[in-house]
Amino acid sequence: MSAPFYKYGLFGDEMSLILAAVIGIGFGFFLERAGFGSSKKLVAQFYFTDMAVFKVMFSAIVTAMLGLFYLSWAGLVDLSMVFVPPTYWLPQLVGGLVLGFGFIIGGYCPGTSLVGVATGRLDALAFCGGVFGGIFAYGEAYPAIASFVKSTPMDRITLDEWLGVSMGAIVFAVVLVAVLGFWGATTVERKLARREVEASV
Amino acid sequence: MKSVDPREWSINQKLALVALSLGAFALLGSPTPGGAVTLNTQELAAIVESEVDHVTAEELAEWIAEGRSDYRLLDVRDADSYAEYHIPSAEPVTMRELNDYPLFRSEKIVLYSDGGIHSAQAWFLLRARGFAGSTILLGGLHAWMDDVLFPDLSADASLDQVASVERRRALSELFGGKPRSGSADAEPAKAKLPTVAPPAAVSVPKRRKRPHKEGC
Repeated sequence: MSAPFYKYGLFGDEMSLILAAVIGIGFGFFLERAGFGSSKKLVAQFYFTDMAVFKVMFSAIVTAMLGLFYLSWAGLVDLSMVFVPPTYWLPQLVGGLVLGFGFIIGGYCPGTSLVGVATGRLDALAFCGGVFGGIFAYGEAYPAIASFVKSTPMDRITLDEWLGVSMGAIVFAVVLVAVLGFWGATTVERKLARREVEASV
Repeated sequence: MKSVDPREWSINQKLALVALSLGAFALLGSPTPGGAVTLNTQELAAIVESEVDHVTAEELAEWIAEGRSDYRLLDVRDADSYAEYHIPSAEPVTMRELNDYPLFRSEKIVLYSDGGIHSAQAWFLLRARGFAGSTILLGGLHAWMDDVLFPDLSADASLDQVASVERRRALSELFGGKPRSGSADAEPAKAKLPTVAPPAAVSVPKRRKRPHKEGC
């Protein structure tokens, strides 16, 4: 038996939707438990006073990466059948910046805004309205910007292919960056906390 | 400051050590994506028996009419046959070219030939290389002509079937065919196939695009 189960036809469309709902609820639950239903907690990331977003997200990335790597090494996951969105570097860079500005200004990212709505936060509800408005505007404007959206295509490409190194080297590098990042984030948090204490004295 | 004695480390420090060790060990290994495939003949036999490996001509017609872009349609006949007529949105790939043709193993692939023999053989070649999403157009181009282009829409349809008859008539006209009504004029239109260019009404997506239905 090998994964991805859906691609190998272990279950059909209906079951995949049910499982997606279950996994999605789990994802939302853990976002909420990490405190990400609150825009104050999320925005603190950008003032470096609370690095929880960085830590939680990077922990998730490292966990998923190590899991996928070792499962595929053991022959239990066929990575070539896992969907990799095609890269269009320039439009995706611009889109990333737009999302980042929205995150800082609005205090949520799309996923956490839904978590905020689920716990009854009005700012999250307003943010969600913006998200859907943005999706609608993008859809309407798509014909005009389609050529830009499809520009600078790099097709389906991953870091190891792009840099011409082994997948294991990328895994090691990401773990190293994560651990150094955690250490740095904690140091910055402590420093800023101390400064705040000094300022209030 | 990290203590030298691991027993005094926090849980975060221990987790970081585990992650670092796993990361370092990863340097030694390299799972080869799309590499060696073990061919499970029993599994293949089960797939063939359960008939999940094919789509019908009508299903395919609906997909094209809906403008679905989450699959690739490959015409595995020779170039002359393709030039003469092909199903709208199909990509020409000869059997010989199939090995080097740019496909992803995550894609759904529909193969067709005139009958079904070549497409079945192409299906085996792809399955053997791990393209688990490959399927066959049941009955090939013959079925496409009989069921979609020139469907036999006999007049004795029950009330339940009227809607589906109407749908089939619409599909037939969409693809430039002509429904046969009853046995009176059997096989009238077989001789003239629609032109290669898809009829104007069909908005056929460019097939070189990758499927975009997945992902977040």
